[in-house]
Amino acid sequence: METKSNVITVQGLPIVVANFNWSVGFQMERFLKALGNKKILSAKCPECGYTYVPARNRCGKCYARMDEKDLVEISGKGILLSYTRAYVELDGKGNWIDLKEPKIIGAIKLDGADSTLFMPLGEVQFENLKIGMLVEPVWNSELKGSWKDIKYYKPASA
Amino acid sequence: MRNTAIIGCGQTPHRARRRDVSVAELVSEAVSAALEDAGITMKDVDCIFSGNMQGFGGIAQPDLWLGDWIGAPGKPAIRIATGGTTGGSVAHGALYAVASGMYDIALAVAWEKHSDSKEAGATTGLAHVGMGNLFHALSYGLSLKNLIATTAVGAAAGVAVYQARFYMHRSGATIEHLDMVAAKDRRNAAKNPYAHLRWPNCQPEDIAKTEMIAYPFRYGHVCPASDGASCIVVAEEKLAKKLCKKPAWLLGLASYSDEENQLQSENYGGVGVLDPSEQMGCRVSAKKAYAMAGITDPQKEIDLAEIYQPFPSQELIFAERLGLFDDGTAWRYLEKGETDINGSMPTDLSGGVNATNAIGSSALQRVLECALQIMGKAGEHQAAKPVHKAIAHGWGGVTNYITVTILGDSPR
Amino acid sequence: MGYIKDEIPQTMMVEGDWQVGAYRYKANRLLEEYTQGLKQKKIIGSLCLGCGKVIVPPRAICGRCHRRQEERREVSPIGTITCFVISPPVVRGKYKLFGLDPVDTGALKEGEILVPCFVRFDGSDSNVACLLLNADPQKVFIGMRVKAVWAEKLEGKMSDLEGVEPLEK
Repeated sequence: METKSNVITVQGLPIVVANFNWSVGFQMERFLKALGNKKILSAKCPECGYTYVPARNRCGKCYARMDEKDLVEISGKGILLSYTRAYVELDGKGNWIDLKEPKIIGAIKLDGADSTLFMPLGEVQFENLKIGMLVEPVWNSELKGSWKDIKYYKPASA
Repeated sequence: MRNTAIIGCGQTPHRARRRDVSVAELVSEAVSAALEDAGITMKDVDCIFSGNMQGFGGIAQPDLWLGDWIGAPGKPAIRIATGGTTGGSVAHGALYAVASGMYDIALAVAWEKHSDSKEAGATTGLAHVGMGNLFHALSYGLSLKNLIATTAVGAAAGVAVYQARFYMHRSGATIEHLDMVAAKDRRNAAKNPYAHLRWPNCQPEDIAKTEMIAYPFRYGHVCPASDGASCIVVAEEKLAKKLCKKPAWLLGLASYSDEENQLQSENYGGVGVLDPSEQMGCRVSAKKAYAMAGITDPQKEIDLAEIYQPFPSQELIFAERLGLFDDGTAWRYLEKGETDINGSMPTDLSGGVNATNAIGSSALQRVLECALQIMGKAGEHQAAKPVHKAIAHGWGGVTNYITVTILGDSPR
Repeated sequence: MGYIKDEIPQTMMVEGDWQVGAYRYKANRLLEEYTQGLKQKKIIGSLCLGCGKVIVPPRAICGRCHRRQEERREVSPIGTITCFVISPPVVRGKYKLFGLDPVDTGALKEGEILVPCFVRFDGSDSNVACLLLNADPQKVFIGMRVKAVWAEKLEGKMSDLEGVEPLEK
């Protein structure tokens, strides 16, 4: 075995970055554009009925195809299944960042869909969160047709 | 080992940029096509083997992410990555699973989506493979000039340039022969709707007009970076006979790996790697596969070959290493047209990797194309002669990975 | 060119990056040994006591025998070209690697012709990748005898071995 003094550390060059632009496909494009209109679209499988958010073109349960005709708008409201509070974040370059304000993240079971979404939670104190509480989306004032159009989820007025 | 056959094949059209689909949609297109061709549903599949190169598409562990796009839930699903031979190893995984008696029906799917990367060609994937070594050498003062010269210029075509030089040096083949191979491959690819570089009636003069990259490779010689996926369904004997009119039976297979720094040391045979076209691994794998298949005279008994040839020189080099021609003579048969669609040893009638290269998928496509030829389903690029036994080859890594698969029209 | 072209619709793209440089690798000290040898105009390789092969630069383990490589041998600065590539003249702006242009960074000169080659130094059983300098690209051949070209200032770096040049002028 190598002894400790026989091992050196080689630092990678920070300028070396590989860039990507991932195509999203038609169903996801429809989903993202709908966000720009404050709409949340699900894809409902015509064979088995399993409903996905975000919309996709293949059912993971029964392998049937789904298309534009299978898109169903849902309210965007849901039930809080679980939640946590994060104190640190990663910067994508191997470094930890201490957050000035802890971020609350919730797992939300959307009404009308079989999917769960992970979303930031806002306008609520951590101590007041309860599993099973109804939550709803809060939209950004500027809408671009992207995931960032949903600012966060907050407790719903029912 | 029990009898095993390929009963269904599916591919997507391979193009420069399939920006109409996400990679998951691309892969499920091929899987869906293979299931339809085999006449089964996802429920019938017992296990799944998937694979693509790491890094090129920018998705770590894609098999986990697109698991439910390839029918993985509820089933054993394993991802295999072996460089350029990924597709061949994925096929072998499915063949091992069924031939061993472990499973009855296995699916093998492989893909690559280069267009998701912003870097030209396959730069990201190729570069990141050596990143650790590169940073290490740089930290010891490797000059930038040396780095760029040996990696960028050499890597423009990579080790294949050195390999081609050696082959031409010892066999007497010329750059005109490379033009002939590339033209033949792109001409035949025009008969294959799933291929990428399709040039109807392409002639060697058309290729000779293209610019030189690094002697002896011209732009017209080099493989593309394609987006695409391919998939095969493998079944055991009873099911194969029930489900498929003319299955493509597994006769023999072998694969081989070696040290990565092969160009700087020596190969498995103990021979110092003076000659990168020597490819001991290919010879050893072919020998093992032929023994398993009971083939004693490949030159007479093999009807068709699908060789992994991103560069035209490799079609000649590997054909010899697979025992299909005597050493240094492949180019003579090329001249006579024997490796073309009407010839006695048709090679890469699909266009091969030279015309279509979605890296993860490429070696699987060689197996798939041999299966299509045996089943008689190759359409316009079907060989003129009847195909009873075909050999599919895969090459990858830094000359150090090989997969060989031999298929036939009747079981062992 | 006569390639068949298809019109393929484009869908939205999501951007992202992979910080390939954000890694801290661990390595042994063999390159240090090698570069310290270069500083003294010595090319060092490891000798395997199992198979007798000498590999340059030194390796930790023999790939065949799996023995640890404790022995070292100095090989000759004279060797033979085993293969080579001739680049076309360098053009600025033609190729970029991770957003960097080789001419802009000062690494290469416009119009330069590079001949990367593999050299087997006498006494070694492996090939070393380096540049062929001071040679007419048209006159290079496999089997050509060459000798090491050392940097003017030796600093214990890989670049101390600048390349090789033909033995005979």
